[in-house]
Parts: sequence; C-alpha cells; structure tokens
Amino acid sequence: MSDPDASKPFIDAANPTHPSLLDPMHQMDALFGVINIPNIVWIDEAGTIVRPAEPGWAPGDDYPDWLRARVDERAAATEAKATEVEASDPELAAKLRGGQDRDSYADAIRDWAAYGKESRFVMNPDQVIAGSPDRPKEKSAAAAHFELANHLWSSGNRDEAIVHFRESHRLQPENWTYKRQAWSLVGNEAAGGGEMGRFNQGPLPGQEEDWPFEGTFTSEAGATPPADYYPKTLTV
Amino acid sequence: MLVDSLDIDAKAFHAITGWEIKPEGACQGEVCVPLPSGFDLESTADRLGMAIVSDETSGLWAVGPASLTGKALVSATAPELVLNDLAGDEFRLSSLRGKKVVLVAWAPY
Repeated sequence: MSDPDASKPFIDAANPTHPSLLDPMHQMDALFGVINIPNIVWIDEAGTIVRPAEPGWAPGDDYPDWLRARVDERAAATEAKATEVEASDPELAAKLRGGQDRDSYADAIRDWAAYGKESRFVMNPDQVIAGSPDRPKEKSAAAAHFELANHLWSSGNRDEAIVHFRESHRLQPENWTYKRQAWSLVGNEAAGGGEMGRFNQGPLPGQEEDWPFEGTFTSEAGATPPADYYPKTLTV
Repeated sequence: MLVDSLDIDAKAFHAITGWEIKPEGACQGEVCVPLPSGFDLESTADRLGMAIVSDETSGLWAVGPASLTGKALVSATAPELVLNDLAGDEFRLSSLRGKKVVLVAWAPY
C-alpha cells in the first residue's frame, strides 16, 4: 500500500542513510518492469542499468529474529513439500527448491562494489534489455488499467476500481504487485483497517462470497513455487 | 499516466512518460522512434506500443508504458524516476549520477 503511514514505521526503524521514496502509482513497474517485491535494479555511475529488476534481499544476518524465524519456518515447510513430491513430481520438487537465493544476493552487490564493470554480475545493455520482463502491448494495457484502478480507489470509486484491478490481473497474471495491491486494499477494508489489516490479502472466514477477485495471496502467491515467484537470476 | 484529455502537447508527454519529442522522433536514451505525422498523443502512443484505456466514471484516460521492444526496458539507459520522499520533497534518480545505485522496490503491505 502506498500510504506513507504504512511504510514510515519501517523506514524510521531502519533509519537509512539513503533516500526512501514513495511510489503510489507504481512507476517502478512502468519504468523498470518491477512486477514483484522485493526487486532490485543496479545502475552504474553513468546512469546505465547493469542488472534489470530481479528478486533480491538484504543480508540474512540483518533480519530481526522474528523474520529470520518466519523465513526459516517457510524454508523448512517448502523442503518438506519438495521431499514429499520428489518421486512423483521431480519438476515441482526442483521448483520448490529453486528461486533466488536470499542469503547470498548481497554478496553479488558487494562484488559489483569491489570490481565495478569487471564484476561477473554486470550485464551488457543487450543482456539488460533481454533480461527485463516481457511487455507486449497487453501488458501496457494492464498497467493502464492498474493506474486507473488505483486512482479510482483513492478517489472513493471502489467498485469501478475493482473492475480495472480485475482487468489488470487478467492481462498480466504474472504481475504480483498488481494482485497484492488489490488484495491488500480489499482485505484491509474487510478487516476494518488497523495495524495488520493490509496483511489480510484474502476474504475473512464467512466472507468468501464477497471477495471480488479470483485469487488470494494464499491461493496464488502462497501456492507458487519459489522458482516461479522469485526466479533465480544469478548464482553467487 | 492519467490524462483528462487526449489533446496534450509534446512537452507534457515528455514530462509524464520520459519520451522526448525531437525532430528525429520520440526519443528515450539512445532510442528514437520516427513520427512520420508529427506528435499527437494517440498516434505517438500507438508508435511506442503504449495502450490507451478510458474510464467513463472519472472521464480519464490512462496511457500505459511503451512496449515497442516487447520488453519492459527499451534501453539500458536508466529512465528518469521522480518520486517524493516521506516529507513530500521531490527526489530525482538522476541526482545520483556518479555513484553506483542499488534501487530497491519493496512494500510494507
């Protein structure tokens, strides 16, 4: 959600020395092709992108204990599932064990900081363009619908906004930010707001009929293997 | 980008999309797309693969990002990104030229 009140506590807690900016209209999607978060773009001193948008994380050692526990818990559950299906569905097992590596990503950035354009992680311009997400014209239309949806929602036109959210989801189903934004807004509304309302990205029990979208975080993102949700783009 | 009229000029188009209208066409970074009939929003958007979607409720149109290469990026030159910080002060990505930039997108959901 783009409300400054949602992000401010996290920024205040991190107390970063770098700029922290708000992107209510998802410019990072339109300009850089960011379709999920967290995503990272590397830009060199001359203003040239040397790695396009890709999943990336801060070093795991910096996680607070509660988040480290959640990540480890999730990893254990995923590994258990992979073990369970290994014999019957080896492709799924590989996807469950795949995806971008959270703990080593920062080492790739450190390599770039140390070696600059000689870093093995630096891509040339053709590789950068080719590595950015596909965007045929219907994806441009998806972005247009999403922008209208956000505007309509923020101006109080809820039902009209949902029409455009649904169309953006239909046109670009792989765009998780479109889905999570819509799920968060409606889920937060159903939960009555509050500190945790926006994390409710699906219908409350007993309200399933009122949910205006085909999927929820649990049914879609939660059920998508790591290799598809956070595709692996580098190996440290 | 949202507009309340399809009759916008080249300067506004540049400010909103990052595509500058020059004699050689619509340009971003080193990429220029010829505009045989000059600039108008609809034909230029079509040349750049930008979808235009209308909304009757608000009377607005939304113009989607360029899709002419079939990829999200048309060039490796970083586009200008202009966003506000928590205090409402404008920040430009280009102000960081001369430094390596790690641009991180995240959400508090």
